[in-house]
Amino acid sequence: MSLAQALLTGDPGYLPSRREEAWRWTDLRGLIRVLPPPAPAFCGDLPLASFAAPFPTEEVVIVDGQGPTGLDIPAGETRRISLRLINAAAGAGHVGRVRVSLEAGARAVLLQTHEALAGGYVGETQIDISLGDGARLERLVLADDREDAVSVTISDVRLARGAVFNDAVLTTGARRQRLETRLTHAAGESEARLLGLYRLAGRRHADLTSLIEHESPGSASDQLVKGTVDGQSRAVFQGRILVRPGADRTDARMGHHALVLSDTAEVDAKPELEIYADDVSCAHGNTVGTLDDEALFYLRQRGMSEARARAFLTEAYVSAVLDGITDQDLQTVARAWLAREAAP
Amino acid sequence: MPATSKTAAQVLELERYKHGFITDIDQDVAPRGLTEETVRFISAKKDEPDWMLAWRLEAFARWRALEEPNWARVDYPPIDYQDIHYYAAPRAGEGPKSLDEVDPELLATYAKLGIPLSEQAVLAGVEGAPRYAVDAVFDSVSVVTTFKAELAAVGVIFCPMSEAIREHGDLVRQYLGSVVPVSDNYFACLNSAVFSDGSFVYVPPGVRCPMELSTYFRINAEKSGQFERTLIIADRGSYVSYLEGCTAPMRDENQLHAAVVELVALDDAEIKYSTVQNWYPGDAEGRGGIYNFVTKRADCRGARSKVSWTQVETGSAVTWKYPSCVLRGDHSTGEFYSIAITNNRQQADTGTKMIHLGAHTRSRIISKGISAGRSSSTYRGLVSAHPKAKGARNFTQCDSLLIGPHAAAHTTPYVEARNSGAQFEHEATTTRLSEEQLFYARQRGLTQEEAVQLLVNGFVKDVLQELPMEFAVEAQKLVAISLEGSVG
Amino acid sequence: MTALLEVRNLSARVADTQILSNLSLSLPAGEVHAIMGPNGAGKSTLSHVLTGKPGYEVTGGEARLDDQDLLALEPEARASRGVFLSFQYPVEIPGVPALTFLRTALNAQKKARGEAEVSAPDFLKLVRAKAAGLKMDFDMLKRALNVGFSGGEKKRMEILQMAVLAPRLAILDETDSGLDIDALRIVAEGVNALRAPDRSMLVITHYQRLLDYIRPDRVHVLAGGRIVASGGPELALDLEREGYDRFVDLAA
Repeated sequence: MSLAQALLTGDPGYLPSRREEAWRWTDLRGLIRVLPPPAPAFCGDLPLASFAAPFPTEEVVIVDGQGPTGLDIPAGETRRISLRLINAAAGAGHVGRVRVSLEAGARAVLLQTHEALAGGYVGETQIDISLGDGARLERLVLADDREDAVSVTISDVRLARGAVFNDAVLTTGARRQRLETRLTHAAGESEARLLGLYRLAGRRHADLTSLIEHESPGSASDQLVKGTVDGQSRAVFQGRILVRPGADRTDARMGHHALVLSDTAEVDAKPELEIYADDVSCAHGNTVGTLDDEALFYLRQRGMSEARARAFLTEAYVSAVLDGITDQDLQTVARAWLAREAAP
Repeated sequence: MPATSKTAAQVLELERYKHGFITDIDQDVAPRGLTEETVRFISAKKDEPDWMLAWRLEAFARWRALEEPNWARVDYPPIDYQDIHYYAAPRAGEGPKSLDEVDPELLATYAKLGIPLSEQAVLAGVEGAPRYAVDAVFDSVSVVTTFKAELAAVGVIFCPMSEAIREHGDLVRQYLGSVVPVSDNYFACLNSAVFSDGSFVYVPPGVRCPMELSTYFRINAEKSGQFERTLIIADRGSYVSYLEGCTAPMRDENQLHAAVVELVALDDAEIKYSTVQNWYPGDAEGRGGIYNFVTKRADCRGARSKVSWTQVETGSAVTWKYPSCVLRGDHSTGEFYSIAITNNRQQADTGTKMIHLGAHTRSRIISKGISAGRSSSTYRGLVSAHPKAKGARNFTQCDSLLIGPHAAAHTTPYVEARNSGAQFEHEATTTRLSEEQLFYARQRGLTQEEAVQLLVNGFVKDVLQELPMEFAVEAQKLVAISLEGSVG
Repeated sequence: MTALLEVRNLSARVADTQILSNLSLSLPAGEVHAIMGPNGAGKSTLSHVLTGKPGYEVTGGEARLDDQDLLALEPEARASRGVFLSFQYPVEIPGVPALTFLRTALNAQKKARGEAEVSAPDFLKLVRAKAAGLKMDFDMLKRALNVGFSGGEKKRMEILQMAVLAPRLAILDETDSGLDIDALRIVAEGVNALRAPDRSMLVITHYQRLLDYIRPDRVHVLAGGRIVASGGPELALDLEREGYDRFVDLAA
């Protein structure tokens, strides 16, 4: 069952439904009765990337799933790349797949933007990322989908020995949106940091799902997702850490923290640990709450209006996630994105 | 460290599963298999009113349309529901009225289990020692209930379910199935059709039950299942503490235990429900043992009501159990304290649900899982706040301890928040016994086994202290026995 | 001439508990008054009611600042009119650098008063000068507000904010709690430096100790939700010697 399968066959029977455990909070079967026609080939001019400003780019553009199939960074090289996934055709469906592979010792900084030129699209994109021995990749994903779009993005990440992957995903959601990361520590001593940030309002929905698999010894995973839901929006966090037999000395942390800002908003979370090795240290924390009254009063006592104080605290709450971005340019881009989202 | 050596001495005294003997007693059993006839047979044996039979038959019809759930992280061969005796009773006649009428063999069995069924024996105990009223359920029937008269004097009803159906029909009819509906799930539905006995408790308004109530369940018969049903109603402003213990003989076959427990707490009432579950876990290779598929749920129906579940789960081959609280009344409170220990080939999938419906409801979950040998232990929980549950609060702490490289520990919490006033906090850790702590203890002279014992006791302490004191001592011993042989 | 702060017959409660009953107090411009009293007397409640903390219900009386009603205003409006509360337990705000917070607050107040906002360079210059006066490491201001600060650092941060925001009325709620003697001296010096003819202060404290460093013009004893005695600085010394017992009796 997948959206891609449904789009390729035109058969809604392949759509994931809430009856499947992995899709219990992100029902596509109940939402889509008829699958949209495939997107026509794109002709026209593309706008400039809105977040490219501080970012020296080597641009890879995929429009409605069509474009280059892969990006290969040879051993020992260092690159800075902007990967633009553009939804151009209104009300159309598309399936895309792109490969990002770093050979041993390669380094890359990747800015991945999800852009929309029109609404109503239904799309699934898979990004296969592989990091060779000792390779390092830092990625920032800005998922700017339309409020009437349905979008699924799957990042399949495989880390070889000693590889380092630092990932941050920022989203405002869509009608239904799933940003899924499947990451495997395949050969040991690798490190992954997965950051996530969502700001949802209106009737938007965002689902951050991840499966982190420790197959081999001595790897570390550190995941931190924070977000806010307002209006009638709904956030889903499903994080699963799986430690296979023999993956000793695994260190895995997972945190998900959400603020519910409205009585009609919803947060659903399932942080899972599945552990089959004993020499491990794993932990997860999950909190759902609302703004602290004491802090709110403190800010008002210093002269801020209630609305201002709320916005201030909310932004402060989520922005801690961005501290984990190590590349300065990506950090700047991420903060600009958050500032745009926080602007009233 | 005297406390530790004392514990170690107790460990040595006890056998691995000291409750594994079989009582040789005259049996009255239903033929194997499950049909409408079986249901009618059980109902007739219990001399039930028509409405009860109708209720059972409807449950049976529904059960036939249901499928066995497979979402739990447990693995067992298919159960042949036609190869089970759904009724087994000592041939001593139904419901003896006094201790004198009870088969001495049965009394000896309970004495061997350490459960005093003689009121005098309890009364002759140390002055000031708490007394327990006991309902002893042997396979499908309750064989005796102690202290009934003394409880009746304050209006507390404590009797076998079968008796309650006959003598307190209105109360049973009002509340039975009101917390766990007939077709709630596969095993609860099966239970509704064929339940045999269990305990019924009613505490009238404003009464603080003068003693602890307890039920000891014993499966004895071969190829039999036990399907007990317990219903506890705490009326406005009342309080009751209830304890439950379970044991079974060592047999090579797997036996099914599918109980349903319903608790109802009205305004300002409080129920404390403690379980020490020590069904036979099977042998080291995973042969035999009880399938413990239980539905336990409390309805905090009244404002400011409170239900607290405490469980020590050491037995059973496979456990599937989620004692839950529906926090319906405003300002009601639910608590769940759990120790689940698995060793050898045991599998446990257990946890709780805290459903916040009312305003300012609170819940607290402390779960400690220990997995050793080739066993697997899963915490599965749900905390949800509905739109009206303004100001709902939950705190969950969920820790797993792994002993040995082949054990598995899982944590699967579900959190659903649907209003802006709810505050949920969940923390979980999975670790193994710290080498440094073990070494430290051994450097100070403890054996490896004693050191493990010491650290494990520390790990589960938060939950043990929630148990009534007498149970806590027993539970601590159980923890030791369950983990025996788990460290090399 | 009316006082800068005039409180008349103020009564207030939290939930169903009456905490202040008929409390009256007059604080002229330029003066420093101490409010002392046993635990539970209503000292913190007075500071919260004057600053408009939600959760308190005023059941009678009034409080006027410069002869204008204070109690009808939102907390932020009171702040921009010059009411500053140094919190007993300053709040930690992860993710917000202290500098960012303070600049946002200052500009919000200026905007509310119809004044021009302060530019970034001017703001930094101002804060640098005030921080130096309080012997604060400027780098600390780049860290998240109060997160990981010691008790003394938090209180110094409060006084720094007071210096930058330059209020008309400063209410210091148990500013001495949790401070060692060196921190107490620095904080007190900071407060004393802010004494001015057009600024008044209300120093709330349980112990006389703080008043060795911040000399009050008058001392009021708060017990049972109202002022039961007032006098000169010597009253604080009496209290230190004799305890609060006789005033508790007075209130009863």
